[in-house]
Amino acid sequence: MSRTVMIVDDSLFMRKILRGILAEKGFIVSAEAASGIEAMRNLHTSHPDIILLDIILPDSNGLDLLESMISACPNSKIVVCSAIGQPLVIRKALDLGAKAFIQKPFTPEKVTEVLEGLEE
Amino acid sequence: MDMSPYRDLFVSEARSHLSLFSELIVRLEDIPGDTAAIDELFRHAHSLKGMAATMGYEQVVEIAHLMEDQLSRVRSGEFRLLPPFADLLLAGGDTLSRLVDLIESTSDAVEDTAGLIERLAAFDPFAEAQPQVHADPPQESVETSASASHQFRQTDSFKSIRIKTETLDHLVNITGELITIQHRLAGSIRAADAAECREPLHQLTALLRALRDEVFKARMLPFAFIAERFPRLVRDLARRQGKEVHFQIEGKEIELDRGILEEIAEPIVHILRNAVDHGLETADERVMAGKPFGGTITLTVRRDKDHVEIIIADDGRGMDPGILKSKAIEKRLITPEQAVHMTPQEAYQLICVPGFSTAATITDISGRGVGMDAVHEAVHALAGVLSIQSQCGQGSRFIMRLPIKVSIIHALIVQSGPFEIAFPLNVVTRTVELKRSDIREESGQSFVILEKTRMPVRSLRLALNLPATSGTEGIMLPALVCDVGGTLVAFSVDRISGQQEIFVRPLRTPLSHLYGISGATITGDGRVLFVADINALNRG
Repeated sequence: MSRTVMIVDDSLFMRKILRGILAEKGFIVSAEAASGIEAMRNLHTSHPDIILLDIILPDSNGLDLLESMISACPNSKIVVCSAIGQPLVIRKALDLGAKAFIQKPFTPEKVTEVLEGLEE
Repeated sequence: MDMSPYRDLFVSEARSHLSLFSELIVRLEDIPGDTAAIDELFRHAHSLKGMAATMGYEQVVEIAHLMEDQLSRVRSGEFRLLPPFADLLLAGGDTLSRLVDLIESTSDAVEDTAGLIERLAAFDPFAEAQPQVHADPPQESVETSASASHQFRQTDSFKSIRIKTETLDHLVNITGELITIQHRLAGSIRAADAAECREPLHQLTALLRALRDEVFKARMLPFAFIAERFPRLVRDLARRQGKEVHFQIEGKEIELDRGILEEIAEPIVHILRNAVDHGLETADERVMAGKPFGGTITLTVRRDKDHVEIIIADDGRGMDPGILKSKAIEKRLITPEQAVHMTPQEAYQLICVPGFSTAATITDISGRGVGMDAVHEAVHALAGVLSIQSQCGQGSRFIMRLPIKVSIIHALIVQSGPFEIAFPLNVVTRTVELKRSDIREESGQSFVILEKTRMPVRSLRLALNLPATSGTEGIMLPALVCDVGGTLVAFSVDRISGQQEIFVRPLRTPLSHLYGISGATITGDGRVLFVADINALNRG
């Protein structure tokens, strides 16, 4: 079963909360990244099963980053995190190959539901 | 899920978003077409909203959401970020900061946000004067140059952690104690001639030096740490005064000890206030004087060996040494005779004398803060030097020269009566031997002619209220020539005992009231040594 996760979010606060939720549900957070550059660098070393990707990052367009990640690591399943009110971005992300999306603000249940849904 | 463990992180991250937010608004007023900055502004509001929603802080969510909404209109080019909207966003940021404070204090107090929410929701850029909105879309050229300078925001990383200043202070204190004990140990080992101890002592010394360097490195922070609020401050003051001010900061990346940064922020604020309030003329006066309509204030930070210079310069009206002198005479701070011998440099320093500025000369704005005398005190408490340059009609420069690190300084140790006094080496220009017969008196002041310059001489004994020497001493008198705010003054002492690296401790009340003393240290053999405050000593 796929269990390792990389969290990509520029907010340390968000990364900590996600890490807390995932740890409770038995996922292993194998890497974290605060920027697109860091995410790509970590991707090559950690090969996570799942990537939780915040679509708004300080240094990159989330959709471009999504594409680069898919081509660099096609086996990783990417879940896009984004705030309410961005249906177009979510549509685009799913078209590009994201496996699911989580809307912010999220509940711990929602996060685990989406991630566990990936494994089926 | 219990969210309380995440509250501290929320508070610190929210604060960082909010401070960058205000900084960007002020910058955008100067370059309204900086689309990269608008995007970043939007992103801060957006991130804050997401975080607050996760924590369940509804008031924060609502305000951040409305700000984000209005900003998306700016982003789409619907209207530009002009002062009325900037004011509203800044007010929003202030309210959010207060809400974050309440969250941190876990207080039950309530912040009334209804008025702000209504203003944000109802904001109509076209109801206020928004000239040529559609005719002048964001400029592409500006965008390119701005995004180049608009580097990635520094993000939190696992490579760094937050430490309380208190913990760092403890580390410095412990390291200082260790160094003191090491000096004592070295003394004992030398006295006992214990050869087998020399090698371990040598290693201990080297390790302690390395420890001290690392501890100090851990305390260093870039000037940007305190600089974020200055543009906003200058902007608000200028708006209130109806003046137009271009404000620039250079050298934000230069690092200083965080203790120094914390202490120097208020003095900088005061000098900036004075510059906007008194230094710069009104637009009309400027035009009459053939100057550009808007004034310029620059804050420059630069490194000079183991010192940092913080320079605040304005292109305003400058100061007239003659007027300063006559005012000081009027207030009986100096005698007319003293005024005659004063250089312009010395005359500018008069504004730092307590009692020089009075309520009649201070406006509402600067009057409330610390006076220049307090600025002066603060700089000296940090073993720094404040100098002032000015030119009538051209502007003024305030230069604060500060050590990069606190606490450990190189000092010259002198003997005066029963006391040993340390003079910070950075103020001592040189040591000289004065012939007693060369010291002349004129209107109650002693001076010598040294290299054709008239230099005041002050006896350290007299300055410290010690009895004068019996007069049987030799004809030569050792003295330290010190730079007191741009003027050279010779301090005569009983004996110069040597140079030493000392760990300075601030004195607490009631010892802090000791005249002419800014701190103390304990020597290797356990004696107490006082650190001279040469400005106080020079005032006599």
